[in-house]
Amino acid sequence: MDWVRLAAPAAVVLVTAPAAYANRYLTVEEAQRLAFPEATQFVEAHIVFRPADVAAIERLSGQRVRTRGQQVWKAMGAGRLLGFFVVDYVIGKHAVIDYSVALELDGRVKAVEVLEYREAYGSEITSHSWLHQFDGKTSRDPVTIDKDVRNISGATLSSQHVTEGVKRILAFYETCLR
Amino acid sequence: MRPAFDSARRARPLLGTFVEVTARGASRDRLDAAIERAFAAVAEVHRLMSFHEGGSDVSRLNRCALSGPLAVDPQTFEVLEWSRRFAEASEGCFDITVAAQLVDWRLLPRPVCAYVPDRQGSWRDVELLPDGTVRFRRPIWIDLGGIAKGYAVDRAIDSLRDAGIPWGCVNAGGDLRVLGREAARVQLEPRHGNERCVPVLEVANGSVASSGGGRRRRGAVGSHVHGIARHAVGGHAFVSVVADRCLVADALTKVVLTQGPRSEAVLCRYGARAHVRTARHEWRTIGGTAP
Repeated sequence: MDWVRLAAPAAVVLVTAPAAYANRYLTVEEAQRLAFPEATQFVEAHIVFRPADVAAIERLSGQRVRTRGQQVWKAMGAGRLLGFFVVDYVIGKHAVIDYSVALELDGRVKAVEVLEYREAYGSEITSHSWLHQFDGKTSRDPVTIDKDVRNISGATLSSQHVTEGVKRILAFYETCLR
Repeated sequence: MRPAFDSARRARPLLGTFVEVTARGASRDRLDAAIERAFAAVAEVHRLMSFHEGGSDVSRLNRCALSGPLAVDPQTFEVLEWSRRFAEASEGCFDITVAAQLVDWRLLPRPVCAYVPDRQGSWRDVELLPDGTVRFRRPIWIDLGGIAKGYAVDRAIDSLRDAGIPWGCVNAGGDLRVLGREAARVQLEPRHGNERCVPVLEVANGSVASSGGGRRRRGAVGSHVHGIARHAVGGHAFVSVVADRCLVADALTKVVLTQGPRSEAVLCRYGARAHVRTARHEWRTIGGTAP
């Protein structure tokens, strides 16, 4: 193992507090291609919920429906319907998570991918003037963390909200797509 | 024209957290295929070692291993062997049979099980037989939550390496491992308020895992259970352990949380080092040698 540099107490590298934690992983198109590599076309539809749909989804999933509809793509290949691709978001304890669910024709989950994860707090320090105060510092001084520091060890990020979201998407499939 | 070498970064909800896989240094198609296999490796560990899933090896053991030897997947057996090593090395401070306490505190769901666990039971009652089967000597419940995440990260890194990926990073909710000589920066502990400075490690070809510092729900103060005293630890202290394997880093965070400075011998034995933030917000380093 070779740790290039260690920045903690003694040698420390106190790094200035980072901007709000935000990670963009995949675009909708990239996630679609990964989920359905054989698809030649994705046909977009926006399904608007009727009150009965909302009631059914809530009953089936045990989750509140907070949107008026759901964005969904039909994955098409060789003139056949291959499956469905749904983009959704959930609001976690501290974060907003955009994610996608690819569904087989029979409603089985093919893949769940996080598209974007952004922390809901900490935006105050992203301001330019706050970061500006560290201009001209040497390497012995705190260095600003930019997009480089993407990993946080010790943050307890729960994926519970996404799991609940997927349940709601499955209920949406049963109610509106099946 | 697309560049010959690309980088890719994806995240999926697995192991109750978000598992992020980054890979660089191959074509996008190869990276995507390798990342897919890395996620599959993590999902496999999840399937085998989840306390929550009824069909996992862990759940099967908690249901049936008292009645007689039970065959488990070689991966599960390997993690059980490591668990035993850490239990021995820490004189029982690391103990996978603390599940009963976690169930009491509602941090884990009550398993479907015919018996009430014996509070005198410990890691010594998990018998690992030479034929790869497992038997419990007393009615106990095990939870691999303190070690399986690190193991899953190791498996994912193995699959990136096997796919010929020169640089990769697998981060399972803050327990992470870096493959390759180029360092990744890792911030220790999330920011709580508006602290201007946070400690950051640069890790190459190694792992870092952290524990503690969190308040837990429902009155349980701390994030782990002391293997002997069976009280909660990690309410105030925060520990990050740097080691070769993520499994080692993950498990040793619990040893350091329970043993404090006394854990130095164990850390040295596994070539690991701990960075500890005390309740008074001072950082100390235990074990290892300065680079």
